[in-house]
Amino acid sequence: MLDPVMFTGGVYKHDLVTELIEDLGGYLLQKNVTQSEVILLMLVPHEDMPALEAMTKELKGKLERAPLAGTEIAVVTPTLAIHHLPHPACDVAEYIRRHGAKSNMIGMGRGVAREISQMDEFESALINEHDAVVFTFGNFADCILKKEHLYRTLTVPVIVTGGPEMKKEDRPYAFEYVPNVGRIAHRSRKATEIGSLDNIIAAVGRALDSVRASISKDPLTTTPPRAMEVVREQVPDVTQSLSPLPIALNLNGLRIKLPYDEYAEAVAGVEFDEGVTLGEIAKVMPSRMKNYILVRILPVSETGFVV
Amino acid sequence: MEMDPLEVFEVEMPGEGYGADKYREIIMDILQDLGLIRSIGRLYVYVNIERPYFAVFGMIRGKLPPLKVEEVGDLVAAEGGYQITVEDEEHMAGLIRALWGAYGREKVEQPDRNVLVVLSEESPGGLVVADLETEFRRDLLDALVRIAPEGFRNRRNEMAKDNFFFLAAEETITPEIIAEAKERLGGMRDA
Repeated sequence: MLDPVMFTGGVYKHDLVTELIEDLGGYLLQKNVTQSEVILLMLVPHEDMPALEAMTKELKGKLERAPLAGTEIAVVTPTLAIHHLPHPACDVAEYIRRHGAKSNMIGMGRGVAREISQMDEFESALINEHDAVVFTFGNFADCILKKEHLYRTLTVPVIVTGGPEMKKEDRPYAFEYVPNVGRIAHRSRKATEIGSLDNIIAAVGRALDSVRASISKDPLTTTPPRAMEVVREQVPDVTQSLSPLPIALNLNGLRIKLPYDEYAEAVAGVEFDEGVTLGEIAKVMPSRMKNYILVRILPVSETGFVV
Repeated sequence: MEMDPLEVFEVEMPGEGYGADKYREIIMDILQDLGLIRSIGRLYVYVNIERPYFAVFGMIRGKLPPLKVEEVGDLVAAEGGYQITVEDEEHMAGLIRALWGAYGREKVEQPDRNVLVVLSEESPGGLVVADLETEFRRDLLDALVRIAPEGFRNRRNEMAKDNFFFLAAEETITPEIIAEAKERLGGMRDA
């Protein structure tokens, strides 16, 4: 089993950590260098954790569990106007990011108001490319109830956040509801506000577990980190991508930040050691996000083998 | 009428107790951000989430006089003109613009970051740098638009000399809604 962890430390000698991860058979998901500090997001075999812990201690770094690593979470606001941003949507997105997930903020085109709000096909398809979604609603119970149609058609688990306490049976289409967030006009810094953000992380964790549970009933032909590793080796142009995370992991595939028209063939032709290509065990399709490539790994029931 | 800053501040939202408390915080945060609290004496907010509309009635504390050059910095007569030393740079841009407008660019010099020299016979002391009253009203309207829930896109605004009334609604604003909102706010004031 692979443990998701985050390493924070100095840039000096951090390549020792990446080499160790490689030797242990783990995966480096993301590397962020900020001046003299580096943040590494990794998946490490559970039984080899002591080796990494010793190395971290030697380098005087910090090792934390990042329970959401390897997932992409959408944070949806009704619009991008000052009423919804930057607080609290940015707080939520940043907090999710700190726990290891890749969070994307999405502002709906016509998400405002109780009677006239709507979501179009493109928006729901874009949100469905993520592993889970957090909707940030406001302080009026009536509005939160009546805006259910915005997320009713989504296939990914939906975590709704808002102000007032509400009953579970009132919102049958939401995976979970986190109260005491709502609309605020200052940064979350009080203990109660940070506590609410922790509740969101816990809810997202439960939502991801439910997705993992449903995937485990019909496992994927290969794991997304392994597919990522192979793509990184055989399509070296991806390392030149200017995105902070050139390959984003999902629970059931990847999002590769290269133009679809130029690189789809190369990605589909990537070959595993076992002799199969990525195109044979996964769907390679255009993503709704810019012109990126979306890879969805097929389950064992469709391919009949595990790589 | 003499009033303390925000001596009365009431928020009423029938059926939405949580929303009322939170909107109190939001309004305070936004008024603080824009530095408007000291200029507002009383504030009444009424929201009917059934119809829905969002109404605000406020009373303004006194009129703000226009800001003059002599209030912005120290004015002393210098050789060939006047020298202005500015401590608070908030109004620097407005000050330079006002001096340029009155004397022309070639007559205004800035030997140092916070020092201006005007080559003129007469004192620029009485020149108006900023119309604080107009700025306050613009900021106030900006604050009200920020405070009102975003879905409430139809707005009505009545600014009087010492009070203001603001109404935002999702549907078209009808005379009945205006009358109802004013009646509710009037009831809050009389209570």
